[in-house]
Amino acid sequence: MSLSWAWLILLLATYPWLLGVDLLSDSFATSGVTLFISGAALIAPCRRLRRWQAVLFAACVGFLFEALRPIPDGALALLLVLVAIYLTSHRDLLRDTPKMFLAAIAVNMLACTAWFFAAALAHTKQVPLLSLHFLGQWLLHVLLAIILATLLLAPLALVQNFAMDKAGLPQPDEAA
Amino acid sequence: MDNNRQGAKASYVALVFFIGLWMLLPSVVRRFNREAFAEFQAPALHLVGKGRDLARYWELKSRTPEELAAASRDLARINAALELKIHALDDARKENIRLREMLRYPANTEFLTVVARVSVRETSSWWQRIVIRKGRSDGIRPGCPVVFGDRVIGRVSTVHLTTSEVELVTSPGFRCTAFLEGDEQFHVVHVSGRAGLSLSAPRAMVSIIPLDYHPPAGQIAKVMTTGLGGVFPSGLTLGTLEDGAQPTAEKHMQEGVLTPAKELNFIQEVSVLVPKYPTAGEILLTPADNAKPDEFR
Repeated sequence: MSLSWAWLILLLATYPWLLGVDLLSDSFATSGVTLFISGAALIAPCRRLRRWQAVLFAACVGFLFEALRPIPDGALALLLVLVAIYLTSHRDLLRDTPKMFLAAIAVNMLACTAWFFAAALAHTKQVPLLSLHFLGQWLLHVLLAIILATLLLAPLALVQNFAMDKAGLPQPDEAA
Repeated sequence: MDNNRQGAKASYVALVFFIGLWMLLPSVVRRFNREAFAEFQAPALHLVGKGRDLARYWELKSRTPEELAAASRDLARINAALELKIHALDDARKENIRLREMLRYPANTEFLTVVARVSVRETSSWWQRIVIRKGRSDGIRPGCPVVFGDRVIGRVSTVHLTTSEVELVTSPGFRCTAFLEGDEQFHVVHVSGRAGLSLSAPRAMVSIIPLDYHPPAGQIAKVMTTGLGGVFPSGLTLGTLEDGAQPTAEKHMQEGVLTPAKELNFIQEVSVLVPKYPTAGEILLTPADNAKPDEFR
């Protein structure tokens, strides 16, 4: 298998996790919150994938989240691409496990904020952006994004690393 | 490392260029992209739905023969009662057709019913929707009403090949006209979904209720579709005004909170009402070259 397709193999390995989180959101449907993990899914791949591969992977992860939700086209995907470019050019930020966790929390929080605000723009008449109600909703979603990133990063990275090993991608030190 | 950073700069420039291009691209390209990613996920959503059905099947299979016999007996009784109702309704239908013909009253929109299982529910502060396991290949079209029995669940917002997205009654994008139970003058009120609700039951708003409207004494007023928009058949239940109606800040109208007729987040199966003939809205959106005058009824 050519290394060029490693990002696609990785996407297929990551997708069940994204779907699993969607199903978790489904089981919390009565509470009206969306659980989100797409940001944290970028961390392990950005340590080993080449930049163009990470960009494609990030764009696909973003578009997969947007596809079934009324979020403005590209709002999340393009932000994840920007994050992927940044992380692949600053791999030292992902050097050890604590740094990976910090990065996962930061990226998941940022990405969650991006889609939340992008989707909210259509409803500013009903819920003004600067109202306490809006900030409460946003904080709730961000808090859940942080919790999920912390809980799921380790198993997710394990599966992603396994897929990258099988695809023959170089180890993080060699990739840098 | 310097090469890496220089490459990053080039990537940022390329990204800015791509964002500009993305914004200028015709919407059809973005729609195609969204459709492609939705189709990529469709098999997984089908699998999830079928997995749930299988779990339900095994749960039912574990019931004792006594329980099944009791359920069968209850169903037989319900069937008998419904058969009587069908006969009564058939007479009313014939009478209705005869009166409509006498008055030359326009015929109601006719619908085909497509039963669909729910794959996954999606709720957030900004949307409440479900994905169902029927799509374009089953004849479903955007805008079709989605019901459960005589209760409105929502409206089809997006259709893919084998799946469709349904916007629920409580979703902020949902709009509908309605009549209130107990309003003898049949004032038309407006029902719309509500944004920004988390950790609470989904609700919709009923607005432009006249000040002189009072719910029927001792009972909760039902909110029913008018059939005026041409989307929903008339007389379907949208929900109830559990907390009654309160005057607006300007004191010239009333508004109230609509509690949906069906617990939307636990629903497992819905019926999509597909109009037999294109609706007025669909005909208006059809390019003039493709429009077929025969489709106007």
